[in-house]
Amino acid sequence: MNAFGLIQIGLILLCTTTTCSLQCNHLPLQQRKVIENSLQLLDRMGKKFPQQCLREKKSFRFPEQVLKPRQKETVKMAIEEIFQHIFYIFSKNLTLAAWDGTALEQFQNGLYQQIEQLEACVIKKQTHYFRSKEVNRLKLKKYFQKIDCFLKDKQHNLCSLEISRAEMRRCLQLIDKVIRKL
Amino acid sequence: MTVDTGLECYNCQTNLKSPQDIQVYVVNTNFTLRWNYAGNDTNVTFSAEYRWFEDFETGETEWKELPGCQNVTRTECDFSSAITKYYDKHHVRIRAEKREEVSPWSSIVQMIPFDIAQISPPGIELQSINGVIKIKVSPPEANQVQKMWINDLSFKYNLMIWENSSNAEFRNRSIFPVDVIDDLAPDTTYCLKVQATYPMDSKEGLFSPIHCVKTTRKVNVLFCATNVSIRALNMKFHLHWNNKYKQHVSYNVQYLIGYLKKLYDDHSMKWLNVPGCENITDTQCNFSSIITATSGFFYLRVQAMSEYNKSCLSNEVKVDPLVTNEIGPPDVKLDISDVLLHIQISPPGGSENEIMRDHYDLSYWILYWKNSSNNEEEIKMKEIKQTIGTISDLAPSTLYCVKVQALSKAYNKSSPFSKEACIKTPGDKTFPLIILATFVTALFAVLLVATPLVFALYQAYNKIKYVFFPSCQPPLNIEGFGGQLFNSPFLSTTEEPIENCFIIEAIITEEANQIDFKDYKHSKQSSRDSGNYSNDDDTSGSKASEETLEKEIV
Repeated sequence: MNAFGLIQIGLILLCTTTTCSLQCNHLPLQQRKVIENSLQLLDRMGKKFPQQCLREKKSFRFPEQVLKPRQKETVKMAIEEIFQHIFYIFSKNLTLAAWDGTALEQFQNGLYQQIEQLEACVIKKQTHYFRSKEVNRLKLKKYFQKIDCFLKDKQHNLCSLEISRAEMRRCLQLIDKVIRKL
Repeated sequence: MTVDTGLECYNCQTNLKSPQDIQVYVVNTNFTLRWNYAGNDTNVTFSAEYRWFEDFETGETEWKELPGCQNVTRTECDFSSAITKYYDKHHVRIRAEKREEVSPWSSIVQMIPFDIAQISPPGIELQSINGVIKIKVSPPEANQVQKMWINDLSFKYNLMIWENSSNAEFRNRSIFPVDVIDDLAPDTTYCLKVQATYPMDSKEGLFSPIHCVKTTRKVNVLFCATNVSIRALNMKFHLHWNNKYKQHVSYNVQYLIGYLKKLYDDHSMKWLNVPGCENITDTQCNFSSIITATSGFFYLRVQAMSEYNKSCLSNEVKVDPLVTNEIGPPDVKLDISDVLLHIQISPPGGSENEIMRDHYDLSYWILYWKNSSNNEEEIKMKEIKQTIGTISDLAPSTLYCVKVQALSKAYNKSSPFSKEACIKTPGDKTFPLIILATFVTALFAVLLVATPLVFALYQAYNKIKYVFFPSCQPPLNIEGFGGQLFNSPFLSTTEEPIENCFIIEAIITEEANQIDFKDYKHSKQSSRDSGNYSNDDDTSGSKASEETLEKEIV
């Protein structure tokens, strides 16, 4: 094993020890609860998916491999990224969807708390050493870029918002499954 | 970033050298290509080409002319208009041109725009008011249509601030887009600069230009609420504060939903009154109604209002419900059965205990010990997840004491210990049982032995009585046998002296009369014959006959 490999291992160990020393034990438990709650709030904030929007439904092709739990840290970072984007989408002008304001506020606040916790608990520096996972990360960004463009093109009308809500619900469900395995 | 090859040279008899040290410099969506040219030729222009790979494919795609980098005379060009796919891999190459000559292509620069892009400085607005600095940050690419950083809520802003004096300390802190810097000295000039960071991708943006501002004098409002603190037990949240001002002051407790601070809008109008804590005079407030276990962060502050309708806002405190909350002690009930001690734990929190158990993933730590006069008894411990525990291996007739603590390993929280509960194990039941058992056994044994014995004795008695004192009478028509012989039928009869009998006629008639009379007597007696009387009659009967015989003889 060459010197670079040793350095890599050393850095990984350093990062791991730093992660362990932070008070992040409650994160998995809290995350499960918040996601459960978020899914309920998503359902509660609006009505059933409107029939007339089915025509406009687009396939965004969420890159599921990004949540394959091969490495805990990489998956946690992917989850953080997804939470950030969902938070962003639901912070836009949503008046056309006429969703329940209280449910929406609680939903956003729950997500925000998780984002803050993940930021504090997950060490980022490891990404530089896992180049193979970069592709998945970029695919994730592309996915959210597609949704953002879609919303902008449709000017955040009711159908585009409802389609986004359904899509984000699917993302959260996938995260829910992965978290239970972590 | 650079890759080999690209030497597409068909006509290599050229003196033009290809450009070197090609670099792509990206800030937000502005793409700049820079290179060096070693040759000292004049009238040299440069043209670049590019290609990109859609969706991470590696197949060959066609080279295209790079708009903005055609026939440029300087050693840099702007090709922002060409790039739209920020997450795809791109190749760029450039060559020098002079009249009809072209240099070989430079080495290819490979890049993914997003990866090499830098974050431009954010915009800053400052306001110096009442001894603090209010800052409003606008994101990079604030009003752009085409964005590299789509999610501007992902930015975290880093503030660097220092006093505008010699050898001043630089302080770094993270700030929200709309924030207040309040740990400053009044009447002092401070300089600051802000950078936007993208923590998820470990990107640190360029710093804004330095802004300097002087803080004003701090107006001390007397009646402000101070020492604002939170006390939370079993998901019941209370805010406490002090006020040195003794005159009439009323309070409004206000809260802000945490995530609003992350937005670029001014949230000062978004504070809401806590229900039940409006216009109060008490220096405490129960704000449990706005908190749930999954509600996320909240900020709280106290607005003090004096009688002159002047108001003052206290400092803000942040609440993270499950982290701020403290777990109260559980209740313990003990029960004893045989050799098992049953511990019933009532979880802390009363009506809220389900929420706490669910979100904290509570477990219980049991301490138990023998409470004897000898205080050197070892304290034993046990951890359980359920609310019922059992302890075995107990010594009899001993007082055991138990106390329990609730634990949340996930949150690293523990409750105080419950009150001690003591119970005495029952005495040894075996000794009385042994006595009872022995007694019963002995009783049985005695009965077992005595009964046959008694029975045997009884039988023997009967037999003896039957042999020596028979109850049955011989029949009357059997004469001559006499009473004697029938008195003892089983015993061998002794030889009796044979009497010489002489029969005299005269006597016979008297005897006959007497005999009749005797017969009559006999018959009379035989009718009421019983074993006891028959013997006497027989003897009397026989004696009487002997007497009459003797009489006659005489």
